[in-house]
Amino acid sequence: MTPPVRIAQISCGPEYSGVQHEIDAAVKEVNGEIFYPDIALKDIMRDFKAYGLDVRSPDLKLAISRARALVEGRVEADAVFIATCFRCAEAAIVRNELRRYIHENSKLPVVSYSFTERTTSGTLLTRMEALTTIARRRALLARETQQGLTLGLDSGSATTKAIVMKDNEIIGTGWQPTIEVIKSAQDVISHALEEAGIKREEIQAVGTTGYGRFLVGKQIGADLIQEELTVNSKGAVFLAQRQHGPATVIDIGGMDNKAISVMDGIPGTFTMGGICAGASGRFLELTAKRLGVEITELGPLAMKGLGNRVPMNSYCIVFGTQSLVNALATGSTREDVAAAACHSVAEQVFEQQLQEVDIKEPVLMVGGTSLIEGLVYAMGELLQTQIMVPPYSQYIGAVGSALLASGFIKDD
Amino acid sequence: MNEYTPILVGTVTKYVVVESFDITPADLAVHAYEISQGVMIKETCFGLIINGKEDEVDRIIAELRKIDPDHIFIKDRGFPPGDSRRCRANLGGARPGYHGMEYEMTVIPYVSHGLKELKNRDENTIPAPENPREDKTLDIYKLKKMIEALES
Amino acid sequence: MAKIFIYPSTSLILSDMVARYGHTPLSSAVAIRERIQTAGFESAPLQITPEEPKKGLKWAAVEVPSGVRGRMALYGPMIEECEAAIIINHADLSFGCMGCARTNELITFLVRQKDVPRLDLTYPKNEDEGLKFVAAIKRFLTGLGGKQ
Repeated sequence: MTPPVRIAQISCGPEYSGVQHEIDAAVKEVNGEIFYPDIALKDIMRDFKAYGLDVRSPDLKLAISRARALVEGRVEADAVFIATCFRCAEAAIVRNELRRYIHENSKLPVVSYSFTERTTSGTLLTRMEALTTIARRRALLARETQQGLTLGLDSGSATTKAIVMKDNEIIGTGWQPTIEVIKSAQDVISHALEEAGIKREEIQAVGTTGYGRFLVGKQIGADLIQEELTVNSKGAVFLAQRQHGPATVIDIGGMDNKAISVMDGIPGTFTMGGICAGASGRFLELTAKRLGVEITELGPLAMKGLGNRVPMNSYCIVFGTQSLVNALATGSTREDVAAAACHSVAEQVFEQQLQEVDIKEPVLMVGGTSLIEGLVYAMGELLQTQIMVPPYSQYIGAVGSALLASGFIKDD
Repeated sequence: MNEYTPILVGTVTKYVVVESFDITPADLAVHAYEISQGVMIKETCFGLIINGKEDEVDRIIAELRKIDPDHIFIKDRGFPPGDSRRCRANLGGARPGYHGMEYEMTVIPYVSHGLKELKNRDENTIPAPENPREDKTLDIYKLKKMIEALES
Repeated sequence: MAKIFIYPSTSLILSDMVARYGHTPLSSAVAIRERIQTAGFESAPLQITPEEPKKGLKWAAVEVPSGVRGRMALYGPMIEECEAAIIINHADLSFGCMGCARTNELITFLVRQKDVPRLDLTYPKNEDEGLKFVAAIKRFLTGLGGKQ
């Protein structure tokens, strides 16, 4: 058995919030091991002063000193997990600064998280899986070309996607809303195989990702079952032909959002989540329904409107819907409402998540929502940059899986 | 969620910390073992951790204190000795509380000095320490004197 | 014998002084011991379950971070129970149970709100201050009816 990935925990509050055992459980599930960088009191006093952020909480002083010990190599680790209480301003400053400090001054992958007493190991699992993958499977993630004949499947919360690839080219695609997880997977696989003109038994390796990755992966005998953070990063830089250097990947999903700061195709820091579906693709689906258009028509509709004519804040999906209904009732045009909805979702992602990663160009938007041009436009306005939407962007997870799966082709 | 079954219910655990030139934790452990009568005693770098029924632990502590009352300090501990949840070997680093104790160990020699001095003196004859809650502003007459001193 | 709330509640020095002069120190360790000796659901390492931050709502509102409320579930009952208190001011290097500045501000505020005898000190920085420190504590505790 491979030795566990050693994850240094830098934190304030999890033991007193009753969630430390949830962190431990998530880490154990991905064959990781939490440890606390060992330092002495004199190190704390020296390093805290040297860092220069004069926080009051002693445990945050300890966190700063532990981060310095990791960056300076006095304590060895494979990855870093930074966790502090949600709603603590002092801790949020420390969490952000330390994440940036470790990311810029070491090669350690970092994930930061703010927890409440309701945080469960399930919520943390994908993040921990990504963290251990980056630490353990650098060789796998270094792959830049797809070889042979492989199948990638992305079993997402809203849609299921399949891709067949041959010698670095996409030759088949399949897409449908996720209804029954396994049935939807089988349907999209059949479609992709048919389009490619390939039989299932000809496929040399299979990769799965997304919420249903374990269930489907087991069912179809996948060679690689991998969380969507590393897979999507890989897929995004592959399709955008930006495999080298920095990039930022934004994936506004059906249930949660991912913002990933990538270097050479490997995630450095990332956030995942979102407080409410008001900040996800769900709100746009709801908007399209209320406006009586298909989701595919929402983007072009929004491009014709002006978002700032309609006050809308989808911090909460219920309040967001209220604004939507009110705006229509008071005579706002459908175009303006569509633009306002796109702007509101982009703004939520910008405020809640993009603050926790370093935005470096190119900014790549992927996933189904990247096809809604009004949303891409709104995000570009907020970030003041030209956003790239790579081809096949809605298949990003499936492409990443097919690409990485080719590392599992057995030499016959 | 898994069920939790506690162990050593109804016992207490105490730290016995020694900060002395004359007595080492090992010396203290020898004394403690002699009178332990089955109470769990673990030697550590700063002294001992003792676990048992409260009256038994108190009896041993009272005896140990007599050895060097000004240099032996005692406090409660939540976990029994060697508990893996708090053990440095399992956690990779010290539990956070350890650093707090590390800090107090730098202050303890002054407390020991105070305890020793008080044996021969009445505490009521010793001036009160400065009240940290009071604002320390410069007395106007003191300021006047300082100005005069500089001018002369 | 009075129940004395000590701050920092993890303090070896205060815990020792209070017991030495015949009173009962109310400390973090005792609150943690209560939890690790009580059967229930497993929640390593301190056996503080997600229920504790909810109990903490008695002392801090729901918008206060969970770590503050979880800690208040330990200290709130002790503050209510105490008959006197000794507070070391500017104790900036107490970690873990005392590792959150916001909790510490709330704890000392609630103790000060309470109408009980209270002694405010700082850590001594030399032998002279050490003597004044011990003498002040002894005077305070014997004044409460402790042993001489």
